[in-house]
Amino acid sequence: MAVSRKAAAVRLNVERVVLPNGLVVLVSENHSTPSMSISAIVRAGSRFESDGEAGLASLAAELIEEGTTTRTSQQIAEAIDATGGHMMTFGDYQSSRLAVVSLSKDFNLGLDLASDLLMNAVFPDDKVRQQVDRRVAQLKSRLDVPRTQASDLFNEIVFKGTPQHRPAVGYEATVAAVSRPAVDQFYRRYYVSNNTVLAIAGDVDTRETVARVESALGKWPRTGGFVSPDVPCPRLGGEPVEKYATALKEQVNIFMGHVGIERKDPDYHALLVMDTILGSSPGFTSRIPRVLRDEQGLAYSTYANVTSSSGLDPGRFVAYIGTAPSNLDRARAGLRSEIERIVEGGVTQEELDTAKSYLTGSFVLRFQRNGQVAEFMLEAETYDLGFDYLEKYPELIRALTVEEVNRVTRKHIHPERLTTVVVGPVDDAGHVIKTEKEFYE
Amino acid sequence: MTATTSISGVEAATDTPPFITRGVRKLVLPNRLTVITKEVHDKPVVATMIWYRVGSRNEDLGQTGKSHFLEHMLFKGTDRYPKGVIDLTTQLNGGMNNAFTWLDFTAYYFSFAADRWQTALEIESSRMRNTTFAEGEFASEKQVVEEELRIGLDGPWEVLENEVWATAFRQHPYHFPTVGWLQDLESATAADMKAYYDRWYHPRNATLVIVGDFDTRDALARVEDLFGSIPDGPEPKPLQIVEPPQRGEKRVIVKKETPVERLLIGYHAPAVAHPDSYPLRVAEAVLSTGKSSRLYQRLVDQDKSITSVNASYHDHIDPSLFYFQAELKPGFELRQVELAIYDEIERVKHADLSTAELAKAKRLIEADLVLSNEEPLQQAMLLGQYETIAADERIPEGSRGFRYLDTMLDRINEVTVDEVASSARRYFTEDNRTVGYLVDDATGRAHPADAKEDDGGS
Repeated sequence: MAVSRKAAAVRLNVERVVLPNGLVVLVSENHSTPSMSISAIVRAGSRFESDGEAGLASLAAELIEEGTTTRTSQQIAEAIDATGGHMMTFGDYQSSRLAVVSLSKDFNLGLDLASDLLMNAVFPDDKVRQQVDRRVAQLKSRLDVPRTQASDLFNEIVFKGTPQHRPAVGYEATVAAVSRPAVDQFYRRYYVSNNTVLAIAGDVDTRETVARVESALGKWPRTGGFVSPDVPCPRLGGEPVEKYATALKEQVNIFMGHVGIERKDPDYHALLVMDTILGSSPGFTSRIPRVLRDEQGLAYSTYANVTSSSGLDPGRFVAYIGTAPSNLDRARAGLRSEIERIVEGGVTQEELDTAKSYLTGSFVLRFQRNGQVAEFMLEAETYDLGFDYLEKYPELIRALTVEEVNRVTRKHIHPERLTTVVVGPVDDAGHVIKTEKEFYE
Repeated sequence: MTATTSISGVEAATDTPPFITRGVRKLVLPNRLTVITKEVHDKPVVATMIWYRVGSRNEDLGQTGKSHFLEHMLFKGTDRYPKGVIDLTTQLNGGMNNAFTWLDFTAYYFSFAADRWQTALEIESSRMRNTTFAEGEFASEKQVVEEELRIGLDGPWEVLENEVWATAFRQHPYHFPTVGWLQDLESATAADMKAYYDRWYHPRNATLVIVGDFDTRDALARVEDLFGSIPDGPEPKPLQIVEPPQRGEKRVIVKKETPVERLLIGYHAPAVAHPDSYPLRVAEAVLSTGKSSRLYQRLVDQDKSITSVNASYHDHIDPSLFYFQAELKPGFELRQVELAIYDEIERVKHADLSTAELAKAKRLIEADLVLSNEEPLQQAMLLGQYETIAADERIPEGSRGFRYLDTMLDRINEVTVDEVASSARRYFTEDNRTVGYLVDDATGRAHPADAKEDDGGS
């Protein structure tokens, strides 16, 4: 088959400016379509919450668009909708986010709204109440998805004792207890200029954009002596656990794994190659989808990876499969055996070459939309990748050897420490409850 | 700025076509393969798609799910690309590929860097006629498709949607879920699949779409090399199944263990490019796009009775459903939310939209065409979709096929408040609707082990 070994070049000009108040501004100009994307990241998330406050950060993030000192919730919604654009605010484990996507001619309005929300949110009492009630209901709906339920349960066990054990959206009881003053306090403490990065990508003029950002956000006061709180770091350790939770569903959902790595881990790129070989390539070329789906027909969805959840804190190494209850034992054994095989037997030169071709050749596909470009700039800023990462990345991947990949696999992946969570029609001991037939009889 | 699109709600047709169709060329090869190209050099990427005009719309009782199952089989090997090699070739070239099947179509796609994109053409030309259907591959893939179906059975929305569509359409094949009924899947054979493939996978039933950083002349030469010698294939028999007018409201209740109840209301609504489809598309935006939309304002902000609501109206070859979905907060009644939605629909029927609201809806539709299509693959999806579904001769020639996208914004911009109201009065009627409730079936929860004996009790 014809294979091109050289990678298509990705070119991206990024302008990085730090305003006197500490706000980092990143701009990448391109005129492919008459549209643009503004993304702000406030470096605060559920990792700064206590257990009793679970859900607070993400509620604060959602609530910044429910009113400012000069605009009501309704006026904010009308303003963005009238342009035909979209605005989203949300919070996750390590960040609070705001994104505006609009036609480029509406850039000024988008920036005005974004700035207003970042600096002047007021959290009206009734809106806080309304959002809390809605979140409580959403949490019930969320657990209606067995895969999410299983993933949450896995995190509760593997990240026990650290903030990452909690879902960023919180629990019903903690969310119900969130008060307006708590939201306001979180906002005042963390939504500050020197804890925020703003990335703008698309059909804009770089110089003009920087000037406009200065005029819109330059007045945002810096918080002297701002420091991020320390976050307890998850550690690999303790005895592996097997946990079964009953949900009368058609499939069993299995998560298997342990604590993973930070994004800044020097082994990141070698593990990216391992992920590509073990369980996260396109199509069904990697081992787990190829064997468990393509050959054995056990699942529609099955994968494994350690790099995709890596962040400021270590993420998780996880293997997943969703399958009919009658396949439970085979599926679980299949995942385990592929994990053991890559640790004990390593990867082949051919697998490494294929993974390298894929990772270097597909890199260009990650920069097609303004939102993707903005996302890359934020990622590069968060993890000090440097904006020349586009040139460095292919070199980092190409330099890897079989020995290196095998070494980091043995270092980071531990078959003897795999925690397994199963959610589905099983009892506490893992025996399948017979419901499948009933459904069709 | 490279391009500006008109976004005023009232401006007449622009001289230049909208961004999405600018530079698009269409060619029909002698074997009737339709080829659509859009050469744009701003990103070093090429998206290639092939669309076949076959989906669950073309399926029969007892044989459902075949279009989708066939899509899976097209990854399982051809004479030139043995099992696994299509994915491996994609991977070695740093590309991505996938496929999807729906009511009216089956579509396959690749994205590659611009220096190697023709790999996609080579693969598509091979699997159009030379998929192998090995018996062993068929059996394991059947299990994969069954697992996909089970994921749907575990999804509360999927279960309710299947029931409402099956109830609303009693004659037309939009009755069938695209993944099929489980028993039909179980009884499918490799020979069935091959026969279905032989019926539908031919140049005359296909549209090839190429968008991105390539040279059109080179690309077309390569297309002719690879596809030109494939026979055109049998003329597909036109499907003429018309769902008769619904005579009275239909209601359906689905019981499923769930902590949140859900509501789905579907109204029979016209096919793609029907004159009434444009005001209905405006109604969809007024009712449910953005937080300033009527349903959000009413149900989330005012009544506070739901976690989410939306109205959806997708273009299809035949008349389909304009539907409303709401997920309830505990403590609220399905009937109460249903009535609130009718209340909002009534207001639209009585033409109480302001001009600002109308203009906003039009801008949302227009901006979305740009904002959702920055990527070559997204553009290829839209072009291929309309070339496939808007082919009927009833559609004016200037709006037929991908040309639908040329005129769609003009049609939308012409819509008046009265037209929105009159189309709402025509379609959003009691007799024309099917209402589905998903309610909690608590019977299994109390005694999971005895679920079977508890049927019907509470």
